[in-house]
Amino acid sequence: MSEIAAKISAKAPTNAPTKAPPRPRRRLIASRLVPYLLLQALIVIATVLGLRLLQPSDPDDFALSGFSLQEDGVTNPVTLPHFTASRYSLADPPLYTGVFTFRRGEAASGWSVYLPRFSNAVEVAVDGVVVLDSRRDANANRPDRNTPQIAAIPTSLLREGANEITVRLFVWGPLKGFLDTVYVGPDAALRPAYETRTLLFVTLPVVFSAWQSILAVILAIMWLMRRHEPVYGVLAAAMVLGVVQAFAPPPVPPAVTSRLAAVLLASAPTESALIVVFGVLFFGWRWPRYATLLFVPGIVVFAVGLIGGPPLPRILFLVLGIPTVGLCLVLMACITATAVVRRQDAASFTIGCAVTIVLVCWIQDMLTVLEIVSNDRIFVSRLSYSAMLVAIGAGLTWRFARALNQVDSFAGQLVTRVREAEERLKASFAREEERARAAALANERTRLMRDLHDGLGGQLVSIVALSERGHEGATITDAARAALKDLRLVIDSMDDIGGDLMLALGSWRERASAQLRPHDITLDWRVATPQGLPLHPELRPWHVIQIVRILDEAVTNAVKHAQTRRIAVTIDTLDGDQGQYGVISVTDDGHGFAVSGHGEAARAGQTARGLRNMRSRAARCGAVLDLSSDASGTRVRLQLPQSFPDSDAAAG
Amino acid sequence: MTEQGETGEAITILLVEDDAPTCWRLQDALVKAGYEVRSAGTLSEARSALAGGAPRVLLTDLRLPDGHGIELIREMRQRFPDTEIMVISALGDEESVISAITVGATGYLLKDAFPTDIATTVRDLVAGHSPISASIARFIVRRTQGAAQSSAEPPPGPALNTARLTPREIDILWGIAKGFSYAEIASHLGLSKQTVPGHIKNIYRKLEVHTRSEAVFEAVQQGLIKL
Repeated sequence: MSEIAAKISAKAPTNAPTKAPPRPRRRLIASRLVPYLLLQALIVIATVLGLRLLQPSDPDDFALSGFSLQEDGVTNPVTLPHFTASRYSLADPPLYTGVFTFRRGEAASGWSVYLPRFSNAVEVAVDGVVVLDSRRDANANRPDRNTPQIAAIPTSLLREGANEITVRLFVWGPLKGFLDTVYVGPDAALRPAYETRTLLFVTLPVVFSAWQSILAVILAIMWLMRRHEPVYGVLAAAMVLGVVQAFAPPPVPPAVTSRLAAVLLASAPTESALIVVFGVLFFGWRWPRYATLLFVPGIVVFAVGLIGGPPLPRILFLVLGIPTVGLCLVLMACITATAVVRRQDAASFTIGCAVTIVLVCWIQDMLTVLEIVSNDRIFVSRLSYSAMLVAIGAGLTWRFARALNQVDSFAGQLVTRVREAEERLKASFAREEERARAAALANERTRLMRDLHDGLGGQLVSIVALSERGHEGATITDAARAALKDLRLVIDSMDDIGGDLMLALGSWRERASAQLRPHDITLDWRVATPQGLPLHPELRPWHVIQIVRILDEAVTNAVKHAQTRRIAVTIDTLDGDQGQYGVISVTDDGHGFAVSGHGEAARAGQTARGLRNMRSRAARCGAVLDLSSDASGTRVRLQLPQSFPDSDAAAG
Repeated sequence: MTEQGETGEAITILLVEDDAPTCWRLQDALVKAGYEVRSAGTLSEARSALAGGAPRVLLTDLRLPDGHGIELIREMRQRFPDTEIMVISALGDEESVISAITVGATGYLLKDAFPTDIATTVRDLVAGHSPISASIARFIVRRTQGAAQSSAEPPPGPALNTARLTPREIDILWGIAKGFSYAEIASHLGLSKQTVPGHIKNIYRKLEVHTRSEAVFEAVQQGLIKL
């Protein structure tokens, strides 16, 4: 089930990008695959040539190849390089004996013996005195490292003329023993060749391993921070294994630590399997469950190494581990080829080329082991593999940095978009505000026109009417004054008083006083609290105009009908249920009038209309008008609302 | 009955008003109250009238056929500092009144005031009592608020320097704006009732910007200019 699912999911992205009918798709694959394969063939040729060219040269003038080999009690003349049979015992190793000629006159410097390649270990003696034992050099004990050895021959040992050199070759299977040409000569002539080999086969792997360890840390951190991208974790694990393998001291057979050996042997197949996992994940495919079988060889080698004795895991490694590495490389090559066909991107291309190079190196090593090609038994797959890992790690880090850049640019785009949205919002807000302002202006204009029409218009018409009928000046004066007063009220109401009704009442007091003075009526102004009335931020000009007109009406009524001598205006603030509210009372000491059951004055029709007006004005402001009248005077009590209504509901 | 100054002579008033009915009305009210009134309909008439000597009181409209009353007030202030200057104010014309105050006017008269009120206002002014209405007071205190909030946009209308007003003077202006009488203001603020008109006169004086050098001094005082 899951395999099918995996296949489907692996196939799914194939169709998505091309979206073409089968035939052109096949053609597409061919058109992409063929150039890629040609390129890989070129790389194979280049790698083979490169390996040939990179073969370190040795100073042939001092080569020593004629030796006699004493092995298992039999002595034979041999020519180096020479392979011996694989063996599993260090006792009685093959013994090579050779002769070299030393001339004191030539020896400006000391002489050395230089062994470019051997496996697995050598003990070199000159004239019976041991000058070199490679088993004490950890690097030299690694068959995959191609470690050279050089040793200075103490001058006192050397005799003028022929000197004997013996080489004991220690071999631990399953690989055959190998001894390359031995060089004996002046140290100055041999040292450069030795240094070159050390650089290539000892220092460079260490550099790569150090690089790997750094990348392992970086990738592990990336994986820890981004658990949903296991590709980083897998690669980090592969690199950690590689680093452990590179730096852990290899076991020397006399002091057998077979368990460590097993771990080291298991590392190579496990590592290669991890690389395949990485490849699959990196190219965005699902890891098929059955592919976990790739890890089996590594586990088997590990388990056998833990249980069995020393030779068994090594044999197992040879027959199981190394083919697994090869299989993994082939799989990797296939995966990258598929990726190249599908994605055509730089990453798959680069990894594909790297895999090809490593694969070529691995085949070369196999051929070397099987003695099909002779290249002095130099193993290059480990080195090339390390280089590939470093390249992949660098590529991943590059990808990560690029992703960060994308995030940055995305953030930049986001900032730009937000700014644009903000601008648009601002513009629309400004439009909205403009519209609201226009609406408010229109409302205000309407109100103003109505107020002017209500008061001033009518009064001017009556002035015209009065003067046309030739009335006495006093009546016209009254009408004109009323018109002026109304105009003043309208203008006053336009002023912004910041919700403080007292400011409007202050102006009204002046006007009322001026109005009453000719009538010899005293305006008694009493504000109960120093602050006056509570503030009403919602107070609008039309509220003010209604309230002031109510007060005007009350005063006018008192002047016209009550024959009063004193009008008292009391402004008070009372505490209600939901806060404070203001009360304005206008009281006169006139003779009053009867208030009917409906609260309407039963007197002159004009007064009745005035009272009705007062009530309706109060209702529009949410205020309550109370009117009481008796023989001792009339009292108009206007109770202001705690909050003025927003809309002029009763305006009609 | 003749209104007389400290020297015993009749108080002379120069009335500058281009609208003839208004001019007659004011002149009638003032003459009836015993003042000696000369009237002028234009700026140039007013100037030639001034050649005959300084009046005790200048009563001028602001919109004149051949110029603005502000010019006349400024000239008057410079040539005859002792003359009391009053502006004839129309309806809802606080801004003009304030402009006149900043060039040296110390009072104003409503065009439609009752004849008795006209005479009373002039008499009070000569006695050293500058009148101030609720709306004018409101206009000034709103400017002090605007200055305190230091809003970016200056309020519309004439530039008004309220920085020199003391908190007490601003309190008095608030009281007037809210319609309190001088007595009520005095009791609220713990003052004597007689000192309130003096405070108001001071307010007028402080709002006046006399000369260019004084304007610079003001600016330095307020930190607008750094020397």
